[in-house]
Amino acid sequence: MRSFRDIPIKQKLMVITMATTTAALALAAIGIVAFDAFLFRQSLTRDLSALSRIIADNSTAALAFNDPRAATETLAALRARPHLATACIYRADGSLLAKYARQDGLFACPSPTVQDEFRFSNTDLTVSHAIFLSGRRLGTLLMIYDLDEISERMRLFGTTVLGVLLVSSLIAFLLSSSLRAAIATPISHLVSATTTVAQTSDYSVRAQKVSGDELGVLVDRFNEMLAGIQSRDNNLITALRDREEALRDAERAHERFRFMAESMPQKIFTTTPAGDTNYLNRQWMEFTGLSVEQLQNWGWIQVIHPDDLDANVRNWRHSVETGEPFLLQHRCRRADGVYKWHLSRAHAMRDASGRISMWIGSTTDIHEQKEKEEELRRANEDLQQFAYSASHDLQEPIRNVAVYSEIVAKRYHDLLDPDGRQFLGFLTEGGRRLATLIDDLLAYTRAGVVEAGIATADASAILQRVIASLSETIRQCDGKVTYDSLPEISMSQTHLQQVLQNLITNALKYRKEDPPEIHISALYQGAAWRFSVRDNGIGIDPEYKEKIFGVFKRLHRNYSGTGIGLAICQRVVARYGGRIWVESSPGKGATFFFTVPERAPRAHSAAAESSAG
Amino acid sequence: MLLLVALGLLVAVRATAVDERLEYQVKAAFLLNFTKFIEWPEAAFDTPDSPIVICILGDDPFGKTLDQIVAGEVVAGRKIVVQRIKRLPPPKSCQELFVYRQEKEVLKTLPEVGPGVLTIGEGESFVRDGGMIAFVVENRRVRFGINKTAAVSAGLKLSSKLLNVAKSVEE
Repeated sequence: MRSFRDIPIKQKLMVITMATTTAALALAAIGIVAFDAFLFRQSLTRDLSALSRIIADNSTAALAFNDPRAATETLAALRARPHLATACIYRADGSLLAKYARQDGLFACPSPTVQDEFRFSNTDLTVSHAIFLSGRRLGTLLMIYDLDEISERMRLFGTTVLGVLLVSSLIAFLLSSSLRAAIATPISHLVSATTTVAQTSDYSVRAQKVSGDELGVLVDRFNEMLAGIQSRDNNLITALRDREEALRDAERAHERFRFMAESMPQKIFTTTPAGDTNYLNRQWMEFTGLSVEQLQNWGWIQVIHPDDLDANVRNWRHSVETGEPFLLQHRCRRADGVYKWHLSRAHAMRDASGRISMWIGSTTDIHEQKEKEEELRRANEDLQQFAYSASHDLQEPIRNVAVYSEIVAKRYHDLLDPDGRQFLGFLTEGGRRLATLIDDLLAYTRAGVVEAGIATADASAILQRVIASLSETIRQCDGKVTYDSLPEISMSQTHLQQVLQNLITNALKYRKEDPPEIHISALYQGAAWRFSVRDNGIGIDPEYKEKIFGVFKRLHRNYSGTGIGLAICQRVVARYGGRIWVESSPGKGATFFFTVPERAPRAHSAAAESSAG
Repeated sequence: MLLLVALGLLVAVRATAVDERLEYQVKAAFLLNFTKFIEWPEAAFDTPDSPIVICILGDDPFGKTLDQIVAGEVVAGRKIVVQRIKRLPPPKSCQELFVYRQEKEVLKTLPEVGPGVLTIGEGESFVRDGGMIAFVVENRRVRFGINKTAAVSAGLKLSSKLLNVAKSVEE
């Protein structure tokens, strides 16, 4: 049998209603019956007491004159009371005077009692009443009243109560039907909503709110909960979709990277943050003739030239430890055993938090370039050697030409006609210019040589020396040279003097009508000193900003000069790892800038060292 | 039980029949009981607390029985007293007047008895002769007849209960 707990609420409501109704009615019925029995007994007592008084009073004469007939007649009046079974009148001595018995005549007269009394038994009530006349006891009246009436009343009550119970049960049943509508309907709505949600996982379902009571509140909360779950569900779906999208993006990016890496002419690799190679593109295998398995992790070191291996491993370890970019030229062994020069670079890729997630690197075949560079270097060296030797060897004959042409001009001045003197003048001038040119060329070739050891120069002292040597020129053109305090820098004094002398000479030379004003200053910027030489001269067309630093590049034919000055400057500055440039516009003066790194840069590779040497 | 009572009654009735003494014991009790069912006018008494006097005219068949019966009885606030007299009583001196059956002359004097006196005699002729209550013995039982007219004209009120138990009532 199903327990009450498990039956549906509809039936529970009905059972509760019916049980309550029945219990209330039964209790009420019991109460009413009990109270009625009590009242009935009370009224019966009162009634019979009055009746017995009347009968006693009416039978005084019969007793007084010993008249059974009259007494019997008096008792006969009791016929009107159908429940009165028996009545007896006794004389004072206890003998029976008269008797009344109902037709069924079940009761005999018992012996009389002395005391008045009402005695209830289960079936009857016995009333005993003493009969007095003028203070003297004449006898006793005794009546027996059957209590069938009470059971009759009980039956009647029982029937009535049963009827009422049936009717109220019917009403309760009907009421519980409407209760069902008020309570069970909202619940069943809720249940069907929860069932739908559970079966379909569709959180857009809402339970229908029918009432404003606790069930209504329950429905509201349930719907709010559903809304919460729905939005969370949606967020989850969106998040999942985003994640899938991100994964697809990552996949696509990865594919793109692979494709790009595979289609590159360079050898591409990636490593773990710890520096273990985990990807190599096709070009590696094609070049080395080895398999991925042979090359990955640290397998690649077997193809590095033994002479470069040490630098390679050391630099790579340094980069992995510090996260600094890796850059190295080295030789790699081709499948046929021939070593080729390569340039390897690798950069750390960092995630949002700045941690290294991987390294991406490329190894480029620079063998051809390297060979050409070497060829060029050798050619350059040869040329320089040739230029130096040529200039050096030319110095002596040129000097002879100049000296002897001057001697001729002095000593044979009178022998020569004006034309001859003029030609000789040209000859002397040409010789002098040739000598200057040779000097400059020598200076230019020497400018590429860094003197041994770390030289320092006090820029202020050098500048003062330059100004002093140019004082005659400055005085002639009424010029003005000013300067800020200048630092001590890592550069040979000769070189700094060459640069400053050339720049200031240029500034004085390319002046306008006005007296030239020149200002020299220095500014420490990005681990280097930036010098500036500003003038108020004729300025330079931006078109020629780059060209002016080339050898023999002269913009102005009407100004004297060899066209080597700025070339020397550039060569010197470049040797120290600096840069030289100009900012100007025609007629607005010009400012030449050059930088000198605080320390001369260290060469990265053997090649750089060799080309510097 | 019923049988026993019936037997007792039978014995008593037979005794009344054979023994006149028993008959007069019953009659004595009746004399007393009459006072309880009859109302006398105030004029029948000397004072409000005067006793009810039962007078026996001439011969006394009761002996001490009547005195014993009325001793200590109080009816309607009045004591009961028995007097034996030889002549007709003066007014207000008797309330009940019993005439024994041997006193035949007395019957002629009945009309002379004043108002307020209940006259009691023996034999049915007594009421015909103007008496108010007459004892008769019927089936060995003492009963009585009543001349209601005589009693009413004497100013007495008879209880209906009394009339109810009377053997006969003369209107």
